[in-house]
Amino acid sequence: MNVVKWARSKSPWIIHFNTGSCNGCDIEVVAALTPKFDLERFGVLLKGSPRHADVIVVTGPVTNQVKERLKRVYEQMPSPKFVMAIGTCACSGGVFKDCYNLCQGVDKVIPVDIYVPGCAASPEAIIDGAAKLLKKISG
Amino acid sequence: MVETKESKTGLLERLRNSIPQEWILSLKAPEPRRIFLSVKREHFKEAMTKMLKDEEITHLSTITGVDLGEEIEVIYHLDKSGTILSVKTTTPKSQPTLPTVTDLIPGAPLYEREVHELLGVAFDGHPDLSRLVLPEGWPPGLYPLRREISIENIRSALEKAKEEKKVG
Amino acid sequence: MDEERVIIPIGPQHPALKEPMNFMLKVEGEKVLEAIPNLGYNHRGIEKAATVRTYIQNLYLAERICGICSIAHVQCYAQGVEKLLEMEIPPRAQYVRLILSELNRLHSHLLWVGVAAHEIGFDTLFMYLWRDREIVMDTLELITGNRVSYGFTMLGGVRRDISPDMAARVKKEMKTVRDRTQYYKKMSSNERSILKRTQGVGILKPQDALALCACGPTLRASNIKWDVRREDPYLAYNEIPFNVVTSDGCDVLSRMIVHYDEVIEATNIIEYALDHMPSGSFREKVTRRIPAGEVVSRVEAPRGEDIHYIKSNGTDKPERFKVRAPTLGNIPAVCKMLSDSYIADVPIILAGIDPCFSCTDRVTFVKGEMGKGWIWTQEELRRYANRWYQQR
Repeated sequence: MNVVKWARSKSPWIIHFNTGSCNGCDIEVVAALTPKFDLERFGVLLKGSPRHADVIVVTGPVTNQVKERLKRVYEQMPSPKFVMAIGTCACSGGVFKDCYNLCQGVDKVIPVDIYVPGCAASPEAIIDGAAKLLKKISG
Repeated sequence: MVETKESKTGLLERLRNSIPQEWILSLKAPEPRRIFLSVKREHFKEAMTKMLKDEEITHLSTITGVDLGEEIEVIYHLDKSGTILSVKTTTPKSQPTLPTVTDLIPGAPLYEREVHELLGVAFDGHPDLSRLVLPEGWPPGLYPLRREISIENIRSALEKAKEEKKVG
Repeated sequence: MDEERVIIPIGPQHPALKEPMNFMLKVEGEKVLEAIPNLGYNHRGIEKAATVRTYIQNLYLAERICGICSIAHVQCYAQGVEKLLEMEIPPRAQYVRLILSELNRLHSHLLWVGVAAHEIGFDTLFMYLWRDREIVMDTLELITGNRVSYGFTMLGGVRRDISPDMAARVKKEMKTVRDRTQYYKKMSSNERSILKRTQGVGILKPQDALALCACGPTLRASNIKWDVRREDPYLAYNEIPFNVVTSDGCDVLSRMIVHYDEVIEATNIIEYALDHMPSGSFREKVTRRIPAGEVVSRVEAPRGEDIHYIKSNGTDKPERFKVRAPTLGNIPAVCKMLSDSYIADVPIILAGIDPCFSCTDRVTFVKGEMGKGWIWTQEELRRYANRWYQQR
């Protein structure tokens, strides 16, 4: 394993973007970072700016209004970049299937690496997704 | 425990006495602490002003718009000591306009903008009826909560708007 | 003078949690002159979608209007439909729903105080509160089987009962939560770094709060005793003694104190309700077709008054379903609080109404005519705010 890859797999910095979610997955993402679940032990750190992040964590079914912003935030991230879609509605639209203002899933807008299903995705599922992503990063 | 400070009949009686009969289309209290009052459109603003002043109502919970087919019904949910007073009025769908209540209730602008956007009711005298909840680039004149508009209609209109933008 | 006046868009992207939202701030130097809200990043079209689904499907849709106050929304919806059916749910179901509503309030309030602490740079308190919030989440999981969206409230009652074993465990946990909250409250009202950032910040005078139709803890922190649970009682709230908490500071500190006190109050309500639960069934069968009619239903969600309007035309699908969540009611109030405040206080004031969009992530500063801009992340804004306060 080369050293850059090794470093990346030890400190995946994430940025969290809500694209019209009900907040359920958002609080679970934060819960996963706080003491009980403590995702930070994998080196995961929540950042505020896309320019500092390796992984974008997207929750929500992507509303039309937020679509362009999601693309822009994704483009601002340095390569290589990874996308995690958290929750059933980020994966496929879920319960909001018939709503008129949606793109029905993150993968209609940007490429997705890891899908974490669940409504809302539990912190355990998010940790599982993160572990799988780390495996993918370290190749 | 006290039911509410204001028993529902007290307010109902007072409304019946204070508001002229010819303004009212219907007045009923189907259950405790809920009153539905329907007023004629031309007397709506007068009735609203009078009620807010007489009853010292300050709280507007929200404004609901309902498409009735030929007309659009707008419902103002006011709160008077725990009783929800829903004031209804209608406006023709071909040219829906109503006087604004923003001068009476400073908390009303966002609710009026929402009704304007989703049902196309214009509020005369509203300071700013710009876009609120729908995305930028939404086709003008497409009001999603109108009855004849189905979800498929909206989807295809959005597709069309996107195509036109690409071409232009 | 004009050179000094700039417009700052805040949002819509944000780091920690909650929904996207955009505010345009007109500023002069450090002072915010005016705040203009820009919504719609989260508009999904639920009201339209509800009209093509059955009443039972809409239970699950209503629950997902907001993932934090999910119980409040589903309760409000179910209560409205039950009124259309002219049915009373069994007393035991009322108590179970009430306990869940209060547990929901507990986790939401603890979450909010944590977020507020994070906004003023007090991450230790944030982590402590979120650790203790997990006790409440475990309790919810114990009763319903889920952490966030419960699928527990049904038309006509609830899905499962609370067993005596569960009740004993919940009671034990409530004591822990109450003791810890009392400690945090004592600490927060004396700790100088908290006082300095929250006292006198984001003032909302009682008369403004009333005029702008604010609701929930925001209104009560402006010393107005108004709570839907007391004014328009639903479930079994008129059988349970509880205090409507108020505070007279009208600032962010009062909002914090009101949240702490409501947590303590909620633990008492839960204990009382568990002790006085009537026996009997917890669910009744309902028909699929709902009689024609209209109903206005409201509950006190953790963030304030949540009001639903349902119009039925006699089929199995509603004709109109209208939702007004409490945050929308508090937006005019937060714009009022922001005007005449300092840029450094913007994050905590925005967080102060316990919004469903809170964190202001990316702040772009655009100098009026010249069109030059620079971008701040929320992290940088917070660091700037903390530095600004150190220099004072």
